[in-house]
Amino acid sequence: MTKTPPPVLDLCKLEISLPKGADRPFALEGLDLTINAGEIVCLVGESGSGKSLCAGAIMGLLPEPHVRVTGGAIRFMGEELRGKSDAEMRKLRGADISMIFQEPMTALNPQKTVGWQIDEVLRLHTKMTKSERKARALEMLERVHIPDPASAYNAYPHQISGGQRQRVMIAMSLVLSPKLIIADEPTTALDVTTQLQILKLIRELQEEEGAGVLFITHDFGVVAEIADKVAVLCRGELVESGTTDAVLNHPQHPYTRALIGAVPALTPPPVKAASDAPVVLKGTGLKKTFAARGGLLSGKRKAVTAVKDLTFELRQGETLGVVGESGSGKTTVSRIVTRLLECDQGSVELDGTDLLAATPKELRALRQHIQMVFQDPMASLNPRKRVVDLIAQGPIVHGADPKKAREDAKKLLELVELSPAAANRFPHEFSGGQRQRIGIARALAMEPKVIVADEPVSALDVSVQAQVLKLLADLRDRLNLSLLFVTHDLRVAAQLCDRIIVMQKGEIVEHGPTAEVFANPKHPYTQNLLSSIPGRDWTPPSLHADVA
Amino acid sequence: MTLADTEIAPPEPPRYVMFWRRYKRNRAAVLGLFLFALVVLMALTAGIVDPGDPLRRAGEPLTPPFMNWETPLGTDQLGRDVLSGVFYGARISLLIGVAATLVAIVIGVVIGALAGYFGGWVDDVLMRITEAFQTIPNFVLLLTLVAIMGSKIEWITIAIGIVSWTAPARMVRAEFMSLRHREFVDAARNLGVSNTSIIFREILPNALPPLVVYASVIMALSILMESALAFLALGDPNYASWGNMIGQGRAVLRTAPYCAVIPGIAIILTVLSFSLLGEGLNDALNPRQKK
Repeated sequence: MTKTPPPVLDLCKLEISLPKGADRPFALEGLDLTINAGEIVCLVGESGSGKSLCAGAIMGLLPEPHVRVTGGAIRFMGEELRGKSDAEMRKLRGADISMIFQEPMTALNPQKTVGWQIDEVLRLHTKMTKSERKARALEMLERVHIPDPASAYNAYPHQISGGQRQRVMIAMSLVLSPKLIIADEPTTALDVTTQLQILKLIRELQEEEGAGVLFITHDFGVVAEIADKVAVLCRGELVESGTTDAVLNHPQHPYTRALIGAVPALTPPPVKAASDAPVVLKGTGLKKTFAARGGLLSGKRKAVTAVKDLTFELRQGETLGVVGESGSGKTTVSRIVTRLLECDQGSVELDGTDLLAATPKELRALRQHIQMVFQDPMASLNPRKRVVDLIAQGPIVHGADPKKAREDAKKLLELVELSPAAANRFPHEFSGGQRQRIGIARALAMEPKVIVADEPVSALDVSVQAQVLKLLADLRDRLNLSLLFVTHDLRVAAQLCDRIIVMQKGEIVEHGPTAEVFANPKHPYTQNLLSSIPGRDWTPPSLHADVA
Repeated sequence: MTLADTEIAPPEPPRYVMFWRRYKRNRAAVLGLFLFALVVLMALTAGIVDPGDPLRRAGEPLTPPFMNWETPLGTDQLGRDVLSGVFYGARISLLIGVAATLVAIVIGVVIGALAGYFGGWVDDVLMRITEAFQTIPNFVLLLTLVAIMGSKIEWITIAIGIVSWTAPARMVRAEFMSLRHREFVDAARNLGVSNTSIIFREILPNALPPLVVYASVIMALSILMESALAFLALGDPNYASWGNMIGQGRAVLRTAPYCAVIPGIAIILTVLSFSLLGEGLNDALNPRQKK
């Protein structure tokens, strides 16, 4: 065999230490990873597994001296990167190793045009003339499929959409044909349809350039979509690595099995016979526009329609999913039906009483029948209150005996599978999943007829997400709850919802039983949405593992 | 191997322990606390150190310090004991500092909270009033108020409170504007909690840390303002306050500088203690701001 070129990136026993007082001494311990040219390697792990620090170590961008590489080797094209001076690293960064960040809005300089920022990369690393640079930048924008590259060249980052910003980031990182591209959760902030386009783009460009890609993600769907090889990190240790097929379909390590087992399958629940249970929540002709308040001299700006003419029904014991991409108005819906946001038109009937026509006093009394679970469990729990007070607050406001309410709160903690010892703690002492359990307990304390859940699991890691979803489904069946479930994640919707509403730009484009909509989507938007789910062709193997 | 996320982390030490740990990390703040304790001690023990009226004649006029152990820090031109003046003055300064700060904070919190929570025209009206107060220099307004109301100590305290509420009001408003959109406020509204409860029991506790820090600044400023009033002979002549002492000591500044310098040092140290205290509180209450 002829001499093979050295791998693009070779990590050997990489070790990164954390400052004292962290939850573990090392962020990464003995990580071995090889990326060859033309290969996409996915580094997968939950939050806190050390995957982003790995990228920082390769780029020489760790927050030293608190966090630093203490052992092992980082070889780029056979050359050791550790111990290189700042000046040497600067030459490599951008030119030979480039990085794509998670949030393109913060990674781009808001004060400079897109063209200027691409130009800067070329100016720093090449000796091209001004016109050559401009031609090259425009060519790059063309290659990342930005419509009308010439106008995008002169646009500021806020003037283009999120997906286009990520395209610009990719154009910037590829403009010098780097040999290694590090992509740190590049699609996490994007909608599914955009995500798929970006993934395809990364794949396409990487094949043209023959570069090696280190792709960091937490999403197994994305892994299934793009990876050649997969490495799974658990608390800084590499627990499993191999080809995508091997890891995804035949995981060996219990941690990987648990993670993959937690990925919601795309198989919706069987169609239930049309329920004739009473309708508990009914929205009719809901409409909401956000009037943008103009300045003194700038005059009125255009109002934005968030929801137009929305009508839906939720029956007792049923789960209705509201799905859509960002800007589709789905969160506005959840706020209107709980009347946290005043609606322009329409009515929301809760058990026959119009919630939107209620006086403030009546409304306060009605609120106990419709409760909400919020997206961000940290933000939705008052940081200065103890858990028991948070849960008991609702019943006390509605006239329950404070002592009894607190006793009940402790029982609710058991119901959501938390130890009653948690009662006297403050919210910051809990993990994200535990906080969301507290949020659920708070909603349940009011014994509501309807629970509105606004993206309750999207801030959680996949394994925790599965546990919380299971808890929700469990409680729903046991307590015969009616759920209005707002989510952007079709996998999650498939798990939990009996019927779904698909929203686009404030309008319902399709509705029906989940299984039917998934099997046979009628509206083009729904079809597009469903075909964009990352890893839709991959069904997580049913692991009869002890997935907790 | 995924941990079922129902296991709870071990309990943290109680809040006050954490608070003290963070507080004592700042050496200067510990010094501030020490000085503050000293001033409080002076105020408390004034009656023991010198029972009787601090304004009575205690010895020969203009005895320099350390000459006569009856009056260790000397006497002023009317023969009043400087030491007991300083001790009793601590009472007045603390009283004015605390009471005026309370007045300022209460007005500021109510106005700022209403403006920040409700927004819209409520905010517009309240903020225009605040701005009207802010455009007049504090001390000029204070002089006017004292000129109208007279220089009884109660009126002085209230007047100082009235001229200092604008800054806390703006601060509370800013805090409320950012906090009212947080999800926990929506969560409380969704439970049917009334507006008053949301303002005072949900949002206010979260807005307090910066306010507590700022209160120490107001306290220091109030003490300075009272001294300045007294220096201009507008203070309450029935009490031995540090400002009064400096004001009267001014007349003999060249022959007996200690009459003005000693109470001056007391003011400097007290104000310093408040600002160091404020800095320490800031570190302890906003741990994320500084490592």
